[in-house]
Amino acid sequence: MVRRVLSLTSGRVAMTVLLLVALLAALGPLLAPQDPLATSDDVLAGISGGHWLGTDNLGRDELSRLLAGSRVSVLGALEVALTALVVGAVPGILSVYLGRAFEWVTLRLADTLVALPFLLFAVAVIALLGNGLTQAMLVTGVLVAPLFYRVARAATLTVARSPYVEAAVIAGAPVGWIVRRHVRSKVLPPVAVAFAQTVGTGFVIVSSLTFLGIGVQPPEPTWGGLLASDLGYLGQKPWAPVAPALLIMVTVWAGNLLADAIRDVSGEAGRALLRSRGARRRPGTTGPDPAPAPSGGVR
Amino acid sequence: MTAPSRTARPGAVPPVPAPPESLPGDRADRRPAGDAPAPPVLSLRGVRVTDRTGGRDVVHGVTFALAPGRTVGIVGESGSGKTLTCRAVLGILPEGFEVGGGTIEIEGTDIATLTPARWTALRGAVISAVFQDPASYLDPSVTVGAQIAEVVRVKLGLKRRAARRRAVELLDAVRLRDPELVGGQYPYELSGGMLQRVLIAAAIAAGPRVLIADEATTALDVTVQAEILDLLADLRERTGLALVVVSHDLAVVAQLCDEVLVMRHGEVVEQGPADAVLRDPRHEYTRLLVTEHERYGLEKVLTPEPSKETP
Amino acid sequence: MRRHTLSRVLAVAGRSVAVFVPVFVVATFVTFALRSLSGLSPARIQLGEEATPEAIARVEAQWGLDRPFLAQYWDWFTGVLHGQLGTSWTNGADISTLIGLGLGVSLSVAALALVIGVTLGFALGTLAALRRTTWVDRAVTGLVTVVSVMPAFVVGIVLVSVFAVGSGLFPSGGYVPAAQGVGPWLAHITLPALALSLDVVADVARQLRGSLVAAYRENYVTGAVVRGLSPRRIFFAHVLRNGLGPTLATLGLKFPALVGASVVTEWIFGLQGFGRFANDSAQAGDVPAVQGVLVVSVALVVSFNLIVNLVLARVTPAAQRGV
Repeated sequence: MVRRVLSLTSGRVAMTVLLLVALLAALGPLLAPQDPLATSDDVLAGISGGHWLGTDNLGRDELSRLLAGSRVSVLGALEVALTALVVGAVPGILSVYLGRAFEWVTLRLADTLVALPFLLFAVAVIALLGNGLTQAMLVTGVLVAPLFYRVARAATLTVARSPYVEAAVIAGAPVGWIVRRHVRSKVLPPVAVAFAQTVGTGFVIVSSLTFLGIGVQPPEPTWGGLLASDLGYLGQKPWAPVAPALLIMVTVWAGNLLADAIRDVSGEAGRALLRSRGARRRPGTTGPDPAPAPSGGVR
Repeated sequence: MTAPSRTARPGAVPPVPAPPESLPGDRADRRPAGDAPAPPVLSLRGVRVTDRTGGRDVVHGVTFALAPGRTVGIVGESGSGKTLTCRAVLGILPEGFEVGGGTIEIEGTDIATLTPARWTALRGAVISAVFQDPASYLDPSVTVGAQIAEVVRVKLGLKRRAARRRAVELLDAVRLRDPELVGGQYPYELSGGMLQRVLIAAAIAAGPRVLIADEATTALDVTVQAEILDLLADLRERTGLALVVVSHDLAVVAQLCDEVLVMRHGEVVEQGPADAVLRDPRHEYTRLLVTEHERYGLEKVLTPEPSKETP
Repeated sequence: MRRHTLSRVLAVAGRSVAVFVPVFVVATFVTFALRSLSGLSPARIQLGEEATPEAIARVEAQWGLDRPFLAQYWDWFTGVLHGQLGTSWTNGADISTLIGLGLGVSLSVAALALVIGVTLGFALGTLAALRRTTWVDRAVTGLVTVVSVMPAFVVGIVLVSVFAVGSGLFPSGGYVPAAQGVGPWLAHITLPALALSLDVVADVARQLRGSLVAAYRENYVTGAVVRGLSPRRIFFAHVLRNGLGPTLATLGLKFPALVGASVVTEWIFGLQGFGRFANDSAQAGDVPAVQGVLVVSVALVVSFNLIVNLVLARVTPAAQRGV
């Protein structure tokens, strides 16, 4: 699937941006030209050779703080998405197979979580349960998990109720084989779409929380924290929020773009597009899935 | 028994067929008055439909004229061009298709000259249509009574209350039991046969002179199919409605039509009075259709036996 | 026909309530469990860190915190049903009153955000759908993509810096109740509402465009054309009606995010609203206040969705029967 996503221009752009952001997270603190915590008398300076993005209200180098803060945002966004994936997708798939009671309970829980304004809850839970951004992200991950639950459940339902799976069951194919063969092709793409979207959402949430100063200790630089401190000095330096804001937006946009690209290559429209470009594909990955042959059960 | 207008050569543009009234033993004998050949309400001359993307014709010259109270049948397998021909007549060809030649006249007006506004005025009031899968041709979110009343209100200018009354009358006219109740229901609450009656009621609500029935009975089971055909025949007798009946099913065409066109791969391979074409097919393909039909014994009663002609 | 419709609407209302009652109970239970999980106590707030264990036990007994968990929950839950959210640990004030004060601010902003979001989203989505596959469509889609990746708090900061600090067209913060004049009231809530609305604009526009385009492909449009209805009538009476369903449903799903985002926007614009109250109480460790805020937010979401479901049942009855 990765190769098919990369065959689309949008997929390549999205992957490149996300890779760059990840690289920033891994190397950011090393790349920072100055100590992000070092204050100076050069307060609220404009762009100069020494400070490419100027300095903040305490004279700290903005570029260094931006680079140093990237790790928190990237890790946070990934934590949100991974938590949501595990907490949401697994029960979503199981809800189709584990009987009515499990189905009912998980459905109600998903309904409940959806009804909770998650930013409000994240703020409340984090403040009350003691901070640390990791806990915050775990909580947020649980709160956005219903998306994965629904997506995974819907995809599994269509697979489970489709004639070819029924045929495979009647033909005696082992359930494990059916799951591997069809869940991979039918459930994985929508879940991947949800994941890419949630990474984007995760960035917004991490930024929002750090903006409010929740989950991080003050001197530690974060993208949201940068925005918050810039907000107080808009009068002197109105363009200060531009860099962190752009960084957040571009990252979120890349996540959405990747989601669209995955959707395109896994949907019929995407397949037609690929075909018209003459992209090489492995046989059997496109078009309607051939009904599994009864011999499949022997394997 | 061979009509002069009958042609087995698809390519040549055939002359407009003589009114089938002249044929002995025809149903028209039972029809009172109207013996003088009425001017056709719908006439097609050498109509071609072109696929603009491929640049080729998908319908190669269809010609027929339809007088009030008469019925033309178009038979053919799917993809033979019969539905595209109907859509051309209604001015609703799918994107990428256009009328590439010939003329279509509705009540003497060449449709090529129609503005969008005049098309809107013409549809429903002069020409209308019903289709296969009637449920999908009705708005799922509006009660069927309201959808019929809407046509009456918009096309005939009736007031809300009067339109609603008229809708119930129309539902009654298409022989739905308890029209009041049915009118208040949504499409998903009705069966296929009921929906086709509703669709017919909506189609005739503004009193059109031509009704196109494109595979209108195809998905219905046999008894319901017979009832719908009966209803169409009845409407024709009572209101002088002219019908274009499109079907892949010979039985349907045999039961209703005065004239038949057999289409294959966009060509009219055979055309003539229904009796003659079905009893004495000239073209190989028509013969195939007729013999298959007999072999599988579908609705023997409906095949054009002479005994059936005089009840 | 009338009676028929009424019973249908009642059935939908009944079903919605059946779904939302468990949601409400579970949500309040989770909310209430927060205190036990947090290990926070009013004694720490009132007595400070140096308090003796006896003093702490005494204060906790005053607050009824020594009773069994389920008994506490039951008392609290019955109180909630009567609109009693308890008293604040920090100042002993009635929480219902405190939230009531902030709710006016937040609801004003949220309502205006919804109005802006729905209006703009509607216009853009309809425009794109009617001019589909033209440059207008592409331009709208591009705009919507840009708008959708702008987080509310980033937009908020930009708006403050451009329209308040930069040009001084709007006040940069604070709130004036509508009772003191509609003009000032609107001036104070316009920027925060705008910041909150962009997300709604993007979602509504995208969803509406998609469902309108899908609706135009349906056979019933052909049916209406053949019956001689005008393009305008077909759009308003049939296409829009059926395209509206998914859009309304999206709006229902969007509402919790709108309520949640108020935490951030109220902070930026210095509004003493519901979200600000939540943030302050949470930071202060005032558990009953936080519980109250959460309960009210769930109630808001649940009632909004109830209304959405009822409207949906009227607009697209067919799509609702499976719910």
